[in-house]
Amino acid sequence: MVNYTRYYLLLLCLLCASIPMLGYAEANLEINSPAISNIKQRMQSRHSELVEYYNSGAIGLTQDGMVMVRDANAVSLAKRQHVNSLVSAENQDRNALYREIARANNHPEWESKIRSTFGERWINLARSGWWYQAGGRWKQK
Amino acid sequence: MSQYCSSGLRNRPITVISLILIACVLMLCASTAFSRFAMVLDDIKHPAFEMKTVLLHFVSGSDETGEIEIVIGEFKAQDYIWKNIRLSCSDFQYGRTTMQCEKGYVRIPEFIAFPVALHVFFDAQTLIIKGFPAKNESWEVALEWNNTSWQGIVTIHNISLDSIAKWFPDQEKTPIPGNGRVSGNVSFSGDGVDLRSAAMDLSVEELAFSDRDGLHAGENINLSLKGGINRTPHQSRWHWHGDVYWQQGEVFWQPIYMVGSDHYLNLQGIFDGETIRLMESTVKLNGLGIFHFTGIFNLLRKQLSTFELKADGVRLAALYEQLLQPFLRNTALAEIQLTGNVDWLVRMEDGVVQSLQIDLDEVNIEDARNRFAFHRINAHIPWLFEGATVADISILSGHVLSIPLGAVRVPLELNQFDIFLPQVTLPVLDGHLKLENFGAKYTEDGWRWKFNGGLSPISMEALTSALQTQPMRGTLSGYIPEVSFDGNTVSVNGVLQLSVFDGSVVMHNLKLIEPMGLAPHLMTDIAMRNLDLELLTGTFSFGKVEGRVDIDVLNLELANWVPVHFDAHLFSSPGSYSRRISQAAIENISALGGKGAVAAIQRSFLRFFEEFRYAEIGWRCKLRLDICYMGGIDSESESRYTLIQGGGIPAITVIGYNREVGWQELISRLQRITSENEPIIQ
Repeated sequence: MVNYTRYYLLLLCLLCASIPMLGYAEANLEINSPAISNIKQRMQSRHSELVEYYNSGAIGLTQDGMVMVRDANAVSLAKRQHVNSLVSAENQDRNALYREIARANNHPEWESKIRSTFGERWINLARSGWWYQAGGRWKQK
Repeated sequence: MSQYCSSGLRNRPITVISLILIACVLMLCASTAFSRFAMVLDDIKHPAFEMKTVLLHFVSGSDETGEIEIVIGEFKAQDYIWKNIRLSCSDFQYGRTTMQCEKGYVRIPEFIAFPVALHVFFDAQTLIIKGFPAKNESWEVALEWNNTSWQGIVTIHNISLDSIAKWFPDQEKTPIPGNGRVSGNVSFSGDGVDLRSAAMDLSVEELAFSDRDGLHAGENINLSLKGGINRTPHQSRWHWHGDVYWQQGEVFWQPIYMVGSDHYLNLQGIFDGETIRLMESTVKLNGLGIFHFTGIFNLLRKQLSTFELKADGVRLAALYEQLLQPFLRNTALAEIQLTGNVDWLVRMEDGVVQSLQIDLDEVNIEDARNRFAFHRINAHIPWLFEGATVADISILSGHVLSIPLGAVRVPLELNQFDIFLPQVTLPVLDGHLKLENFGAKYTEDGWRWKFNGGLSPISMEALTSALQTQPMRGTLSGYIPEVSFDGNTVSVNGVLQLSVFDGSVVMHNLKLIEPMGLAPHLMTDIAMRNLDLELLTGTFSFGKVEGRVDIDVLNLELANWVPVHFDAHLFSSPGSYSRRISQAAIENISALGGKGAVAAIQRSFLRFFEEFRYAEIGWRCKLRLDICYMGGIDSESESRYTLIQGGGIPAITVIGYNREVGWQELISRLQRITSENEPIIQ
């Protein structure tokens, strides 16, 4: 069985390790704070649930570092509301994560840059078969 | 021998029935004279439809039989266009009193192709058309007429609804049937060209539908549809009614998911050609309650000109779970538990809510994350789009961020989207929070509010117990200047003054960003003056220290209620007072700095005295990225710094050497010291 937690941690580590490639060396994406830790923990515990829907193509990654319902038909009717809730909670956490990293860097105005960097990295590190948005259209890795 | 006729019928209302009959009569007449007959109608126009190039072809056989074929080049109704519609009959029989076709066939390319049968009884003035779209599927139209009136019935048996999907416009957002079967009948009657009444009784089984994105979809739905419409004699008004029973199945209509469980919709009203009037209609959602509504829909303006929705005793738990929660995802009410009942009455005019009345009955609200709870809420909340009202809200108890609140009754003044509360006193623990001039306003960016007030003495023991933190003694009280919320941040415009440990606390520049968000940020500068060290250290079981201190905490920032940044400076208050420190306190100060962090005088010397005198105490901490950069009385840059400057007899001076210590480590050491109630000797 795939260890999703390990995979998720790897994703986060790779994201953070990509700091030198960001083009604005001042930003420390690895920076930690109690708020960032809390958000990461919540995202980590949610990820194992999201993987099922990434795999089925029900949800995909957007360029601005968010998650979006791509094809609700891939989910049973009874679970569509749950998927919506998951996506909504994940996006709230992602928004908060980008904001907190910018704040922890003492540069709240970097939020959008951090968001787009994360967005790019999430897509690069997505598994084969997952869906992502490019130029406003869905593509499969 | 053959004969061709051509006819152009423009802008004349011709019903389908009369067209068929005219064609039949023409063919019957022609068949007596010719073995072949063909007729082309170039163009037929009607307000409801348009046909082009209609070809009728008849070949006469023996003994009043023959073959007939009708081809419609193009049929247009609304936005629908079908081409090359073909109706054929290979065993057409006709006589003086009857005309029939048992082996007919109808074909619309890419849409339908199935057998049909036709019977016309001229004496009985009856027309019967049967269709057999698929195996075990059939429909029948039976029509009777006399000189002045007519009546008919359409009987449907087990017709598959997925075939209807082809008739829907191919639009992304339109839910299309994908499965399901319908049975039942539709009856109608009329006079001349006018419909007099119609009724239907249909059952739909295993219905499934979906739009392309699956955001509006249903599966395995069983419905019962009943309805009727009757024209008022000598008037152009129609009385109509309809009943829908949703017996089973599930529907996801973004963002709501509902399971069919004997839900019921009853609609009735009057239609006068320009408006549809809804009268005394109800919807019953099983487990939720019954909703009554009336309204008027203006067809010309395509707008609800009036609408009224009334509900009594609706169970809030079910209402929240089934309908409200999906709309509250990004709010503080995203994860709550609700109990109790609600009544409401909403009146709308021209799409705008004119009045609203909400009554809450024994309602309890509890946040799943335990940030707040309010119990036994009873409220009467009237609201007018134009005009002022007063809402009466009472709450028996509750808590906000674990701080218990007592019973309160709030008379809220409502004026459109403004809320005003002149004064209310809210019991908080053993004291009171007095709110004055509370004003809230709803804007495009959400709610904004402000108030001022005061806090009458609250026992610190009760407060710290409620917050489950280190027990403290003393009282907390203060003046609260204007506090405002701009949709994102709570700001204190002025200074917040509190009294604690027999001293004063003044908070400047207090801001709380996203108070109910995932990571609230609190920022402020704090100046504490003349705190009684004996009360303070006694509270923390730190070891007795007599004296008074001032503490400045500048640029304090808490993220998720945990400090992430500050510049703190603790120093002896000016003035004359007893300055003594116990041996235990000195040992604990030493322990706080870590092993080798502090050098006092020889331990052997310490043993002779329980207390020492000091001249001055000083401690500094700059918190940066979880590291506390420490200093003492002076902001000297040497490796050593003075924490306690001795003075008098016996005196003691405490020197610190460790400049950096992890914040978490410092906190856990402090917690160990204070919880064990014993000094740590390293």
